[in-house]
Formats: sequence, structure tokens, C-alpha cells
Amino acid sequence: MSTSLPLVVIGAGPGGYAAAFLAADLGMEVAIIEKEPNPGGVCLYRGCIPSKAFLHAAKIISEAKHAKAFGIEYNEPKIDINKLRDWKKSVVSKLTGGLGQLARARKIKYIQGEASFINSNTLKIKKTDGSVEELSFQKAILATGSRPSVIPNLPQSPDIWDSTAALDMENIPGTLLVVGGGYIGMELGTVYHEIGSKVSVVEMTPGLLPGADRDLADVLYKHVKGLFNKIMLETKVIKMETSSNGITVTFADKEGKEFKEEYNKVLVSIGRRPNSENLGLENTKVKITPRGFVEINDQRQTADPSIFAIGDIAGDPMLAHKASHEGRVAVETIAGLKVAFEPQAIPAVVFTDPEISWCGLTEIDAARAGREVSVAKFPWAASGRALTLDRTDGLTKLIIDPKTQRILGMGIVGVGAGDMIAEGVMAIEMGAVAQDLKLSIHPHPTLSETIMETAESFFGHSTHIYRPKKMN
Amino acid sequence: MSELKLPELGENITQGTVTKILVKSGDAIKKGQNILELETDKAVLEVPSSVEGIIEEVLIKSGAVVKVGQAIFKLGGGESAGTAKSDTIAPKVEEPKKIPDPQPVASVEAAQSQKPNAQPSAPGAIFEMLLPALGENIEKGTVTKILVRVGDVLKKGQNILEIETDKAVLEVPSNTEGLVKEILIKNGAAIKVGQPIFKIEGNTVSNAPASAIPAGKQETEQPLKEKTPSAASASVEKAAAPLTAIAAGPLPIRKDIPAAPSVRLLARELGIDIGQVPGSGHGGRITTDDVKAYCKMLNTARPSSAGSALVSKPLPDFNKWGSARREAMSNVRKKTAEHLSHAWNSIPHVTQFDKVDITELEKLRKSISGTNKKISVTPFIIKVVAQALKKFPQFNSSVDMATQEVIFKDYINIGLAVDTDRGLIVPVLKNVDRMSILQISDELAAMAERARTRKTTIEEMQGGCFTISNLGGIGGTSFTPIINWPEVAILGVSRGSMEPVYIDGNFTPRLMLPLSLSYDHRIVDGADGARFIRWVCEALQQPSALDVTK
Repeated sequence: MSTSLPLVVIGAGPGGYAAAFLAADLGMEVAIIEKEPNPGGVCLYRGCIPSKAFLHAAKIISEAKHAKAFGIEYNEPKIDINKLRDWKKSVVSKLTGGLGQLARARKIKYIQGEASFINSNTLKIKKTDGSVEELSFQKAILATGSRPSVIPNLPQSPDIWDSTAALDMENIPGTLLVVGGGYIGMELGTVYHEIGSKVSVVEMTPGLLPGADRDLADVLYKHVKGLFNKIMLETKVIKMETSSNGITVTFADKEGKEFKEEYNKVLVSIGRRPNSENLGLENTKVKITPRGFVEINDQRQTADPSIFAIGDIAGDPMLAHKASHEGRVAVETIAGLKVAFEPQAIPAVVFTDPEISWCGLTEIDAARAGREVSVAKFPWAASGRALTLDRTDGLTKLIIDPKTQRILGMGIVGVGAGDMIAEGVMAIEMGAVAQDLKLSIHPHPTLSETIMETAESFFGHSTHIYRPKKMN
Repeated sequence: MSELKLPELGENITQGTVTKILVKSGDAIKKGQNILELETDKAVLEVPSSVEGIIEEVLIKSGAVVKVGQAIFKLGGGESAGTAKSDTIAPKVEEPKKIPDPQPVASVEAAQSQKPNAQPSAPGAIFEMLLPALGENIEKGTVTKILVRVGDVLKKGQNILEIETDKAVLEVPSNTEGLVKEILIKNGAAIKVGQPIFKIEGNTVSNAPASAIPAGKQETEQPLKEKTPSAASASVEKAAAPLTAIAAGPLPIRKDIPAAPSVRLLARELGIDIGQVPGSGHGGRITTDDVKAYCKMLNTARPSSAGSALVSKPLPDFNKWGSARREAMSNVRKKTAEHLSHAWNSIPHVTQFDKVDITELEKLRKSISGTNKKISVTPFIIKVVAQALKKFPQFNSSVDMATQEVIFKDYINIGLAVDTDRGLIVPVLKNVDRMSILQISDELAAMAERARTRKTTIEEMQGGCFTISNLGGIGGTSFTPIINWPEVAILGVSRGSMEPVYIDGNFTPRLMLPLSLSYDHRIVDGADGARFIRWVCEALQQPSALDVTK
């Protein structure tokens, strides 16, 4: 306790461990304080990774069903839920264990426990082994992440799940209500639909995935409408009560008419809130916004000069890749480098079927800012690759500055949209113009060609779409 | 005694070539003061001192390659260089700690303490409001009008004073908010920037612009601004304004800038606001080379530390040969000296002489001049030059060597050098191509009156495309005027006189007016220079083609 550690990272999610690893690589002595035995955070233990493992399983089931359309018919799948869960666990433990090894190889001091600030340079650590110790530090990086938001006054019931419980996959409910049509609800709803649940979704706003451009979300809506039991838009949950078969939910539609339905399980996925409580931040100069985020500057430094904050606790968007990048900015700042968090485009991916991804400016952003943009679109019905996959339910679009023709944003819906969005990020970060995308040869036959053809359509001559010339 | 070693210059910069040594033996140097100019493979950098002391010996020479950590000066007095760690000092940044603490979001105090005009922000606190910076190196002036009274509630941006400086009468906007409790100045009083002017009871954080300016930027701003030609010598071009770019503190985040992440990082490392760098690529894309060129332009365009070019060589003791006295230069003189040195040093001048027969023009001029309305030859020349600028657009341009571009202007504003009791000023007539000769004549009279009564505004002295200097009233047969940078040409007018001209086998007395056209040879070729002045002469020679009312 007598010596002061140059850097301590609190929380080892994708933000925290990226920060700690870089700090160690830059020669700093660094410690991580984390509840779990290995780095990973929500993303690896209870978020991105386990959900993607399940979504992969769901995709196989769905494609096997789909194959009937072109003459390949399988029997109904037998689902061994224990094996499926174990496989997910093995993926998680492989990844987190690997991160643990990487931390040890870098000689990072890994303290399993929970930390709170005594003052701007001292932490109290309640270790998992029950002991308590104080740690004095020069700089700290707060990376404590977020947790699922809860609806107040719900009954205590094992039949009401949050995303963590849904990923534990205790059983396959006969009926499942997903509260909230955001990305977490839609992804987990997709998983449970494919393994056999009758899934319904209730969403307060008029559309799924609020925040995404409507033309993208509409493609997803059309697809899941045929699969899910029911999608209730502009509908509110009034009440939940435990009942004999699970939970009875009272809804109110947009006219205010109330109705009741019973479900075996209810998944509440209405968003996430930052973990900024119980950290002793009141003992530091750190400032917190009314929504619970920590206030930070361009270098991710809080109002307390010795404390930085990154990831979900530092503000939207709550995305792992944003957190890692912020972690590197914070560490480089601490190392004396002149850097700033200044991305031009942060990609967002929704791993539903079909996937939705976007980056940079959206049409919604442009409209809100009153900014004039040109939008070029390419429907996947004209893509050879999409036809061979029998998945023409897709759309690629570019948001373009009409004056400079610079790419300002990209949006994709369709199978594999998540992997394709990286090209949009690159184009935006490099200041590419529409012609750059048009003139870069894209491999045939792939879905990535749709990006090139979208750029071509901006100039009015996409190879695979015929547009009659305007007469005037 | 100790040695001052070359401090860290930034990431991956290990050495550089000394392009200029900014201090000499015997100089007392301060922490943060620029001591060297160094050219690295990234850019030309100014190196600030990490210590204080007196230079006993300079251990390096201009042109030498020096490495980080190499001894560059021997020092005496002040803080020993040995104790001062050679910190990571980024170009032009004074950072006392190894780990920089970029301005935290909410820490207004830090920003304020660095700001000369900082004021307390406690609720209800009474503080003194200081005369804010008036811009363009204006340090002092005379209060001509106080626009607020005790009991007024000040808003930011509201005009509070009228001040007459040696350049113009300025309205001074408030940089703070609050209730005026007491007025500490009087009409007619001479005041200086930074002097208390009001007592204010405030409950809001004042000086919002101050907290928005990264700490330290103020110091770096000054020497840069000195290079921009100020009102005294006319035309402060907007294009020159971004020259305040090299910042010491954290730079702002620029959204929507077409530059790759690596380019943005380079700019950040060099302390350049990427938002100010002109992009040469498609869609305005900024390349690494654009950033380097911009940085080099900033560093080289600056006068070698506060106009020292003018006093670079030691002067002899003039009292050896008789009595002599020293007088401080007026601000107008300083500006004129700086501006003209810069123009003379940066523009390759050529001067083309010609003579124009204005016998007919003189008849026309006299015929339209009434008894109480005298029209001089100048409006005619201005009108013809305006037409010539349309015909020869390269004369209505500016040269940007940093981006290797020529800027062509679609408007025609002509400056006229005016001799006043406080020195040379150049008011500009805007859009003269749209004015008739009679309108120009009226506007000239009004302009002269404003100049005489010191009412010429700074705006009025900006935006010129071309300058005319008429010394004909005094005399002379020709002269070589210096181009009013960033313009590319200037027309000098000398005194007209009757000369015998050989016409149709006879010598005929004609009124001949000598003209001298100096032009920037980078953008104007010799033949075009001759064509331009010939065109002006021929147009003036045939005044019948001129309609004075259009």
C-alpha cells in the first residue's frame, strides 16, 4: 500500500482489458480490479459472445428449415439444451481464459474483487477471498460498464428474465414475451424462436429498433413478422402478475385499450444503465450526469484529473468496440501522447436475421440536424449473391454529401450485414467520396458488390438496376 | 552553470536541423520561450526552453543536425537544467509534468488562471472587468464613449465602450455578464488592454470564450497574429485568419473532416487544428502532405520571432557622429514596417513603367468638375483599373504557396494608399466595378474625410484586391511601389507634366502621366504586366469611351 501504482483499471470488460493490455505494452505498471476470475466483462460473459453463439445455432436451424424451399428437407431438429448451453459456456471460458493468460503474460496485477474510491488517489478493494485492502494509485480508469435496466414494481418471479437470465437458458419456454424491440430483445427473441418458443414482442414506439433508419428496420420487420407469434407496436406494458403458467401481462394499445395475455416467460430488454453507483465517486471530483453517465472530455478524462472513464459508463453508444477504442485513448493520454477520441463513424450491428448494420450519419441524424444529404440505395433483389443464398431481403444504402460527394454514412440490412459495415467505416474515416467506392473493384459474386453498386447508383448507372432516364 | 539539452520534440522525432537560433549569448531565457527553430522530417518546429536562465554559450550552429538530449546551450543562473528533466515537450508546449492533464471538462478555473482577463465566478461576487483584447495587436486607446451606465445588466457581446485607437474607432463588446456596479474609467481617458474598466457583480461564469480556448493558446496566438497585415497596412484577408492555429492545449474534436485517422493524429501531434488545414484531395480530403505544408507555412510565414528581422543586425552607435535620439515606433509604423517587409521578402517584385497621355482626359475631367465639386483623376484611374482587373484576372488573385494554389476573386475591391498625420493607411473601395466614376469620386471624398477624422474602420481597410498609390500631388517622375500582400499588384501614379510628344510629324505639347505597375512575378508574367499597364494607358487615353455616370 505504501507505493502508489501508476495505473489501475476498474472493470475488465472489452474497454478495461484493452486499456490495461495497452498500458502494459507501453511499459506501465498496471493492475486490474474485476469481480470475475478472468477478463471479459458483460460482453464475453453475459452479452455479445454468448448471444452470438446461440444466434449461430439459431441460424443453422433456420437455414435447415429454409432449405426445403430448394429441395433439401431435414427432419425437425432435436435440441439438447444442456449441450447447447455447455457449448456456449465452453466458448465463453475459452475466450475469457485466453484473456486471463494474456493478462498474466503481460505481468498485469489481477485483483479479483470490487473497488470503491476513498479519495482521488486511493481505492478500497473488497476482494473475492473476503479480505479488504487499500490501493493507492496515480491514475485510474473507470470501466465498470452497465447492467440491464429494470421496470419498477415488477413481481419477484423466476419467470421474468433479463438478458443475463435469457442467456443462462434454463429451459425453452413454450411462450415468451420480449418487452422492448431493441437489438437485445430482437436478437434473443430470434434465438428462442428458432429453438421452439412462440415469441411475441411488445414495443412502445411505432417501429422495431428505434434509432435505426426505417427502411432498414422495415426489412427486418417484414421477415420476423412471419416468424414471430405477434409483434405489438405502439403498445405499453401496464402490469405483470404471476399466474399459474407464468406471467400474465396487461397491455395498453395506442388507443389506450387494455388487454391481457399470459406467457411462460417474459424477457425485459428495455435498455441498459451505467454502473456508476457504489463506487465511492462522491469521494472524488468525478461528475455524473442525470442519466448516471460519468462526465468526460475528449481524452476520456473525468472532472477529476487522476480518473478517466471509458465504455458504457462514459456514455452512449454502449458498444464494446467503442469502449476498447476509448480505453486506448485514455491510456495513450496517460502516457503523454496527444490523442483524442474522435471517430467519424462508430459502427452498430444488430445480429438478427437478417442482420442490420450502420455507421456514420443516418438519415434520422441528417433529418434531425437539418442537413441536406443524398441517399443512394441498392436493393438486394438485384444481387446475384443474394439470389444464390435465396435471401434477397436486403438493402444497402449510402448517405452522401451532395456537394463534396463524400460518404457520410452507410446502412445495410441483409444476411452478413455485420461483416460488411467495416468497409463503410473505412470509407468514412478515410474521407472517401462516392466515386472511390464505385471505382474500387469488389469481388464477384459477393454481397460486398452491393456497396459498389450503391455507389454506382448514386451516379445513376448501376449495372444491375435499370433506371429510365428522367425526361425534362 | 549547467547545460540545456534539446528536449523531447514529440513522438518518434529524434533529431532535426537547426534552421534558426532565436536567442544569443547573454540572453535571459524563460521557461516556454522559443529558443530554436528546428526542421525535422515532419515539420519545422519551434523548440521552447524547458528551463530558465542566462545563456552563457551557444553550443550549436544554424544548419547543424542536433539530437534529442544533445547539449545546445551553456546556462548560468536560474533553474539548473540538470534538475529539470527533459520532459516530453511537444512543439511549443510548456508542460511541467510528465503526464499532461488535459483540461478536464469542468475545470474552468485552470483555463481562467491562464487568461489575462480572467474573472471570478462565485455567485454574486463583485469583480473587476478588464478591457478585453481589441485584436490585431491593439494595446491601448482613448475612451470616446461609454455605452453602459451603473445599474445596467451586461450581456456577453453587448457593446460597452467606444475606443479610438491609432487605427480606427472601435466598439468594444463585453466578454462577461453581470450587473455594472461602478465605472472606473472616464471619457477621454487613455486605457490599456487588461486595465480594469468596470466593477461587475456577476453570478455567471464569465469569459466563456476564455474557457473554450485551450490554456496556453493565447501565448501562441500573438506572434502568429503579428504576421497578418493589420489595418495599418490594409487588407487583413480572411484567408490569413486561420494562422492562429498551432495550439498548445488539447485541440477540439472536429466532426466531419475529410482526413484519415492517421492524418488527424499527425495534426494533433503537431498541435494543428485539422479544421484549419485546407485539403487538396477529392471532396476536400486532407492528406499528410497538406498537414505538413500547413505546419511549414505557419512556421515559416511567421516573422522570425516578433519582427526581429528588422533588427537582425546590430546597429552602430549613431551618437559617435553627432547627437541622435531614439523614439518608439507607433503602432501604425510597426505594422507598416512588418507588413511591407513581409511583402518585400515574400513577393518577387517587378515594376513596369509607362506614360499615359491624359490631355483629353484632363479636358473631360475639367468639364464635369463644377465649382464646388472637384473631380480628380483618381476616380478615372480606379474605374479603368477595375475594368482591367476583369480583363486580366491574374491581377485579381492571391498566391497560396502552402497549397500551391492561386485564389481568383470574383469581386473587385480597390485600396487607395492615404497619407495621414499618423502614417499610411489603405482604405478599400468595395465593388468598384459596380460604381460609376461619379460615385467613386463621392465615395473617395467621404473616405478621405473619415481617414482625416480617424473614423476609418478596420473593416474598411480589409478585403482589397489591388492598391493604387497616387503620389502625383507631391511630385516625382516614377517610383517602385511595394505590393500590398496578399494582393499581387499595385499601381503607382506620379505627377503629370506637359511634354513634347511627336505626333504626325510635329512635337505637340501633351499632358503625360507616369504610371508604375509593380506585380508579383510568381503569378504575372512580364508580357502580361506590360499588357496590363498598356491596357490601362490606352483606356485612359480615350476618355470618350468612359461614361462617368455608369
